[in-house]
Amino acid sequence: MEFTYIGKNVPRPDAVAKATGKVRFLDDLRLPGMLHAAFLRPTHAHAKILSIDTAEAERMPGVVKVVTGRDIRFRYGENIKDRLPLAVGKVRWIGEPVAAVIAETVREARAAVGKIVARYEPLPVYVDARDAMKEDAVLIHEESGTFEHLPGMEAVPGTNIAGRYTLRKGDVDEGFRRAEVVVEGEFNYPFGSSGAIEPHGAVALFHEDGTIEIWSSSICPFIVREDVAHVYGLPASAVRVHIPEVGGCFGYKSDVTIEQTVAYVASFVPGRPVKWVATRQEDLLSTLIGHGMRTRIRIGARRDGTLTALRTTVIHSTGASKDTGIHVLIAATHNSTGAYEFPHCLLEGLSVYTNTPPVGAYRGYGHQESQFAVERMMDILARRLGMDPFALREKNYLGPGRTTSLGERLWESNGDVRKCAAVIREIVFSRPKAAAEDDRYYYGRGFAALMKSPKGAPFSSKSCYLKFNADGSVSINMGGAEVGQGLRTVVRQVAAEALRIPPERIAVYTEIDTQFSPWEWQTIGSMFTIQGGRSVIRAAEKAIAMMKRTAAQVLRVDEDRLVYDGEHIFLNHDPSVRVAVAKLARGYMYDDGVTVGEVVHATSDTRLPRQSNPDACGQGTMGITYTFGAQACELRIEKATGRVIIDHLASCFDVGRVINPRQIRGQVTGGAMMAIGATLYEELRFRPDGTAVNPHFRKYGFPTVREMPGRWTVEFVETPEHIGPYGARGIGEHPVIGVAPAILNAIHDAIGVEFYEIPVTPEKIKKALEEKGKN
Amino acid sequence: MGQTITLTVNGVRRSVEVEDGERLIDVLRERLGLTGTKRGCDDGSCGACVVVVDGKAERSCLFLAAKADGREVRTIEGMADGRALHPVQEAMIEAGAVQCGYCIPGIVMELDALFSRQPDAPDEAIVEALARHLCRCTGYEAILEGARLARRKLAERRPA
Ligand code: FES
Ligand code: FES
Repeated sequence: MEFTYIGKNVPRPDAVAKATGKVRFLDDLRLPGMLHAAFLRPTHAHAKILSIDTAEAERMPGVVKVVTGRDIRFRYGENIKDRLPLAVGKVRWIGEPVAAVIAETVREARAAVGKIVARYEPLPVYVDARDAMKEDAVLIHEESGTFEHLPGMEAVPGTNIAGRYTLRKGDVDEGFRRAEVVVEGEFNYPFGSSGAIEPHGAVALFHEDGTIEIWSSSICPFIVREDVAHVYGLPASAVRVHIPEVGGCFGYKSDVTIEQTVAYVASFVPGRPVKWVATRQEDLLSTLIGHGMRTRIRIGARRDGTLTALRTTVIHSTGASKDTGIHVLIAATHNSTGAYEFPHCLLEGLSVYTNTPPVGAYRGYGHQESQFAVERMMDILARRLGMDPFALREKNYLGPGRTTSLGERLWESNGDVRKCAAVIREIVFSRPKAAAEDDRYYYGRGFAALMKSPKGAPFSSKSCYLKFNADGSVSINMGGAEVGQGLRTVVRQVAAEALRIPPERIAVYTEIDTQFSPWEWQTIGSMFTIQGGRSVIRAAEKAIAMMKRTAAQVLRVDEDRLVYDGEHIFLNHDPSVRVAVAKLARGYMYDDGVTVGEVVHATSDTRLPRQSNPDACGQGTMGITYTFGAQACELRIEKATGRVIIDHLASCFDVGRVINPRQIRGQVTGGAMMAIGATLYEELRFRPDGTAVNPHFRKYGFPTVREMPGRWTVEFVETPEHIGPYGARGIGEHPVIGVAPAILNAIHDAIGVEFYEIPVTPEKIKKALEEKGKN
Repeated sequence: MGQTITLTVNGVRRSVEVEDGERLIDVLRERLGLTGTKRGCDDGSCGACVVVVDGKAERSCLFLAAKADGREVRTIEGMADGRALHPVQEAMIEAGAVQCGYCIPGIVMELDALFSRQPDAPDEAIVEALARHLCRCTGYEAILEGARLARRKLAERRPA
């Protein structure tokens, strides 16, 4: 297939506005009469609230109102209503909002927060699911089991177990009976933060006419709208949500995060907008965090390397709410097979309430946590079998005709992990290692394959509104949130290709406003290119058909005789009989002014075909579109310090079709860098009492340019996807998935030490080396 | 209790009332409406708020407003002239360094200060300057590439 615009480095439509500092992020909004909120956070991670004295705070200069949770009578949540806008009666994590001050300025609001006196009666604190699950553990949610929820989201009442997911494929006992070798391990992916440089923020305004307006640094305006409308008993149409420019998301700005809290506070000062922007500490502790997952894994195999059985238990410290974490757990559990076919699986996920910030989406959505385990195990199993790790993987890769844990039989159009692995193998492993060690360093190389399936909802759709302007240029409006990933460029390029007009003549929306934007569920799961791109093509085809209808009238021929080329519609056997597209955009006007035909604008939407909920075995068509890939790294470990230096990070994904080479490379380097951070440096740490050790960038371990790999390899295989536009599939999350196992496999290659937990800091390596030296 | 400071911002003299302990970032964003300067941490660790004060890259979230009295401040709003972009901005765009764009104003200002002082800054100096900035989107490859491209563009434009 020959493309005109697909596969080219078409410039980002938003680059100039961003490079000049002109785009407006949430914190840049200034509304007339705007007030500011600041929050009191608790001193204990789990405690009864005995009293909150707000008298002195109320007397502080600039203070308009002090709000506590005393009168709250509702809970909210998309999957399970276990969330509260402000603490009521007790606090459950260290970042929870306890009370709010609304004041004329941020400074005044913060100063007054310091004057609120709250008294607590401490309760036992659980920062790890394994402790919270103990029989005598105090309940974090006494009412757990009574919260309203979607089907399949049941908690275990009387315990801190907030939910479970079990998947059965085949008969796992039979699978282990057939096994000749069994390996097992337990892997930990600790808490981290998506850590966008733009912190979360929202503005809420309760209008005097009873409608509500919200601005938020969110990627799910329609969910926020529906959730807020539900709580305040309004039709969704009476709530208007705006999304300004979003300064990075990486997961944690999806779902309802802070909007209900800011809205509740603003409801006390109707007529005036109330703004709140998280401090960095609040962004790390009071919004959503990532991971907190421990994967116990047991693999059975024949001596020839054929995999027979997989048993995993994913234990999730989901934090004080499971609403945003439960689907991450489900994704982690059914994707714990990685890119391999296991004939027999028993995969279990346990979501457990803990006294930590709620876990939500983080780029990768469960995949990296459990595939960290399976990819480390493949290397371990290969050593046990005395087999080449590539050969072991080769034998078991998923591919056409093979069946995932979910019971989905794969097609060729789901992509080719073997090709990706071969590309990486050739680039990284075709030469012998230069050296095992020298005076200063140990050297190692490691590999990981990976699989990503989206985690959507059966009804999830992405809509498009496309209109032709009078001069034949085009404007497109959609509900997908641009967070930096470059979806505006994708929209422009796909539209240019589908409409055969130059990208410069296509304007792409800059903001989302539920009042004007077509509906979209939320911009998650690396699904915008596939679904949004398909929607653009559908809308383009409709618009072209409309123009042909009018042209058929004007040229007095049947529609199916007509050809569209972006500039004209003409007779297929005589291009001189034609009418210009620009003349059709608003219907066709004859010389005497009489106008016929339709104004050319079209709407469309795309969902994943045949997506289902899980059945009784936990299976179903829940993946639909898969992406496979392979990653590897070459590294050095400094003997003196234990420091890991990544010399080369190589990635190859079967993305179906590269739409924009420069942009897709940026997605891969950015994602891989985030995962390098998680693997070697980053962790959001909590003390046993639930207070945070490092809730600021300085101590969090955020990587800088100095930690960048010495070399990047970014390659793609292009096996066209059957749903995606021009064969393209998603890529946003995938680059994080194989990095941790590739690095830890490489560390083993370098020093022979098995790590089961990240981040692997220099201290841990030094300690391991010392211990090794002793033995 | 407060004081009036006079500073030059992007070539224009401005007098503003500031409170004790107020930081330059708040003068720029809240008092002067120059919201192109971004706040990512407020504790000097992300670099999103970097502006140029008397030719030096400074973190405006740490920089006391009172210290800006009588000084010359350049922000992202002072970089493009309304038609043409500054070469550093052009380079960032061309290299694909702009994703969400939240870190970009700070990085552009950091590089403006660097290249004004040291037009042929070696790669190590560039890395040192960029290491003061956090970016979650790019993995830094394109930013480093953009900085090198900016150096090239600036050299081409210098009168021989
Ligand atoms: S906001 Fe100043 S360094 Fe982060
Ligand atoms: S481009 Fe998003 S933080 Fe750098």
